[in-house]
Amino acid sequence: MVSSFSPDQRMGLLPVLLLSTLPLMAAPQQQPHHEPTSKPQILAPGYSALEFVAPEAGSYTLPSLGDAANGALIDSSGKTVALHDLFDGKTIVLSFIYTSCPDINGCPLATFVLGQVQERLAADELTRSNVRLMSISFDPANDTPDVMDDYGRSFRRGGVDWRFLTAASDHELNPILDAYDQFVIRDRGPDGKTLTTMSHILRVYLIDADKRIRNVYSPSYLHPDILYADIRTVLQSN
Amino acid sequence: MKKNELRRLRASWLGAALLLLWTPQPYADETCMSPYMAKIVGQEDFVYVWTLGVEGLGDEQDKLVTIDVRPESDTYGEVVNTLSVGGRNEAHHSGLTDDRRFLWASGLDTSKIFIFDVHSDAGKPKLVKTIDDFVEKSGGVVGPHTNYALPGRMILTGLSNSADHGGRTALVEYTNAGDYVTTHWMPTDDNLQGAMKSGNFADGYGYDVRVLPRRNVMITSSFTGWNNYMMNLGTLMADAEAMQRFGNTIVVWDLHTRKPRKILDVPGAPLEIRCAWGPRSNYCFTSTALTSKIWLIYEDDNGEWQAKAVADIGDASLIPLPVDISIAADDRHLWVNTWNDGMTRLFDISNPHAPVQVKEEKIGAQVNMVSQSWDGERLYYTSSLLANWDKVEALEGEDLQYFKAYAWSDGALEHAFTIDFLAEKLGTPHQMRFGAYSLYGQ
Repeated sequence: MVSSFSPDQRMGLLPVLLLSTLPLMAAPQQQPHHEPTSKPQILAPGYSALEFVAPEAGSYTLPSLGDAANGALIDSSGKTVALHDLFDGKTIVLSFIYTSCPDINGCPLATFVLGQVQERLAADELTRSNVRLMSISFDPANDTPDVMDDYGRSFRRGGVDWRFLTAASDHELNPILDAYDQFVIRDRGPDGKTLTTMSHILRVYLIDADKRIRNVYSPSYLHPDILYADIRTVLQSN
Repeated sequence: MKKNELRRLRASWLGAALLLLWTPQPYADETCMSPYMAKIVGQEDFVYVWTLGVEGLGDEQDKLVTIDVRPESDTYGEVVNTLSVGGRNEAHHSGLTDDRRFLWASGLDTSKIFIFDVHSDAGKPKLVKTIDDFVEKSGGVVGPHTNYALPGRMILTGLSNSADHGGRTALVEYTNAGDYVTTHWMPTDDNLQGAMKSGNFADGYGYDVRVLPRRNVMITSSFTGWNNYMMNLGTLMADAEAMQRFGNTIVVWDLHTRKPRKILDVPGAPLEIRCAWGPRSNYCFTSTALTSKIWLIYEDDNGEWQAKAVADIGDASLIPLPVDISIAADDRHLWVNTWNDGMTRLFDISNPHAPVQVKEEKIGAQVNMVSQSWDGERLYYTSSLLANWDKVEALEGEDLQYFKAYAWSDGALEHAFTIDFLAEKLGTPHQMRFGAYSLYGQ
């Protein structure tokens, strides 16, 4: 049985995310597709203790949702890599993000949850060596390999394999986003000009050692307890 | 109500806006859709009406009808697009994927599922895929009914099965792309699947599905099988044996594991399920078609899920036949339609254990579905229930097969416009879903 995180464990990362997000959140014109910022921001469930006991790993099944697509990416050292090569027979948690995302319940939520899961993976040799976390930017123009490298340094802990990746261009990236059903819109201001922010559906994917998608998570579903239980369920089924 | 009056209801410059965030605020979604779904938080642009084809009327085919509901539009209140699907399938319910890019619409007779692209041009949906092997893939499930969004996938309730076309059925999961994933059969006396049978029934029937992610709960209701829903209504009601074959259960499931936890007795065919939105509101409502009651499905102080009848809907002896229900933004009101008398009723559900009717109004000769906007200020009604159950004539002055738009203002329903689906040779209108250009950055 997986227990919930204590508030103290959560607060290690959360203030950083809030601080990095608030300046952009204070500019309503930069997020035309979001709720007015004057309302108090209510955090997604993934930031809090689960309101129910997570299911015991292996007590349920996660049927395949199809094959996880391949594609060409660039790692944080600037090297071109094939996504499938990075899967490398491991269980994968794959998240699409962009580093300047201002939505606390969007990309920062995904990175926060992966960070929390990372701590649990680190505590167990089986999971530490058989699970790989991947954060892929869908903003290749701004999220260069150097940016992703800096971003990744803030989050990697405990010897867990967490890759931060980007793409050479939208041309390389878009087929991957399409294949993973990751919908992204570049925001525009009232004057029609492109903004730095994007509207998107947050999606995180759990992929097994045979490159099959076993679960998909969105903001109201993504939680460290659930994700960790699912990872262990997939590892057991492997 | 005139166009100018509706214009003042229009939202800010944002128009219809996509809310991509997790949305814990106690808003009702439009027409009570999945909590996982992106929401239109302003004025909707279009209403998509999944419409049954009628023999001898127009092209006789089931079709997706798109109605312009933008008050400032030159085509406000008009049908701006129709997309026929090549036959009649007993068109019934529809639902959007969690990213709101695709609308799934299913047929209870043929078990076909039609997937429409509503994001490339929200005003002109395209049919991009037809699933015609639902029965085979699902292992014998018949009559896909509710098309409900879960993260990255769709879950569909069945109404029947291919073995005997009775009421035993299952839930079926698909990817958003329309690929079959798995089937979950409803628990029965023969195979409770670990669920607790709390009363007299474990009928294995299905109808609607809703979720309360906060509580890791999924709830299903129960109607009747193909043999009954495809039968002429008069014939059915005269058949005492057939009338015994209606669902009497609500099943509470573990949402994450998809395992049934508890079977609750809710006699009389519990149909639509609508769950409250408040952060501590651990309850849902349903209405029973045959006994004309509102039932509360709730988690008690001990964490146990229970069901109890909490209100009567009209005079049950007159068989008003409750159909669609819609919970309001603040969990304080519930719209309840009764098909047979064409009435819409509003209940104050501030105390969910004791709803009180506060309003009733005639909509037409018959009324089935009701969909309300995010802010609850606009309501839309359609008339059709099932091809073989619908009325074929109306009293003078009553509309028979229609789409109607209303504004809800100061406790009054203000009629905006009506589209007569028979006069327009469209068919008979059923499920409604909303669309908006701004959902897709357009």
